Amino acid sequence: MKCLETEKLISYAYHLTDEPEASQVRAHLGICPRCRGIVEQHGRLGALLDEWKAPGPTPGFDARVRQAVEARQARHEGRSFWAWDWARGLALASLGVLIFAGVVWFSRSHSSVSNSSSLATRKSSQASGTQTPAQVAKLQSPTVTARPSGKPGQAALGTITAGTFSNEDQDAQALEDYDLAANFDLLSELPKGESRVVN
Amino acid sequence: MAIETDLDLMLRVRDGDAASFEVLLRRYRLPMVSYFRRMVRDQGLAEDLAQEVFLRVYKSRERYQPEARFTTWLYRIATNLALNAIRDRKDEISATARDDSDGGPILERFVDPRPTVEQRLMQGDRERLIRQAIEGLPENQRAAVILHKYQEVDYRQIAGILSVSESAVKSLLFRAYETLRARLEPLLREGQL
Repeated sequence: MKCLETEKLISYAYHLTDEPEASQVRAHLGICPRCRGIVEQHGRLGALLDEWKAPGPTPGFDARVRQAVEARQARHEGRSFWAWDWARGLALASLGVLIFAGVVWFSRSHSSVSNSSSLATRKSSQASGTQTPAQVAKLQSPTVTARPSGKPGQAALGTITAGTFSNEDQDAQALEDYDLAANFDLLSELPKGESRVVN
Repeated sequence: MAIETDLDLMLRVRDGDAASFEVLLRRYRLPMVSYFRRMVRDQGLAEDLAQEVFLRVYKSRERYQPEARFTTWLYRIATNLALNAIRDRKDEISATARDDSDGGPILERFVDPRPTVEQRLMQGDRERLIRQAIEGLPENQRAAVILHKYQEVDYRQIAGILSVSESAVKSLLFRAYETLRARLEPLLREGQL
């Protein structure tokens, strides 16, 4: 009976041998005490090597790693890796605030443009003594109820068509404000002394 | 809850997810420090090198390509650092590192009342002999044995880490284990009694 090569036996002892070679070595070990002795000796060596223990990291290791990464980040990227999640949340919140501020700004600027253009139109109308068709159509809207003291819609229209603006300017303003109130109800502000327009 | 794979975590780190980096750090801090501890012996240096590994993982995150296993990549970085440290600081390590194998505070030796002082000293001697036997191996054999025996890395993966063929790894391990068997023969005989 011929013994196996030492390399083959050691490979088997340390699980470096794949099938079917491992089965062949196993079969040989069953009938060869010398080869079996070599494999057993390496089994004992494996157990002996296990006695060498290595300690793990000391407390504070993680913190030092984080610190090193943070320092590296600050040097090269100018922002914190661990602050990234927090920064992402902050960025989203900021975006929300910006959008809200933009909406408010837009509504206010739109309101002032609308008011000044209406005023210009009214002045022009006063000068000519006529109303534009758009103004008339707006005033004829059947869904509008203006002024608690006056009659809704029709009364205002009657007054306007009569061409006397001296007492009806406030009615026209209230009707224009109505449009704003319909879209931005919470943001609309009627001038003091004015009644709120009801839908 | 399913355990996230290293690959998934690393891909998220690549996208800037700090929480995933934390998971990887917790998962591999012990294997890394103990690997370096056996490679370079000195605890402070081992932790510095392990820290450097994590820093390099972070630095390379944007270039990370999931071609090889994450641990292959991790141990490749670690092994290069360890071998460079051994070469660069060979004299320094041998001059400064203590002869004690545990490297822990002296008081720690007397904290546990169960093993006697004698037993602990004997155990310390055995560990020192094992350590010296492994440290006496050529660099590649030493890295291969520590990866295979203590880090439980498969020989195919060791081939990827050391950038050699699988048969070369088998050969490295064969020679290393055979040398260790010869060097530690007295302890092996002692264990048989």
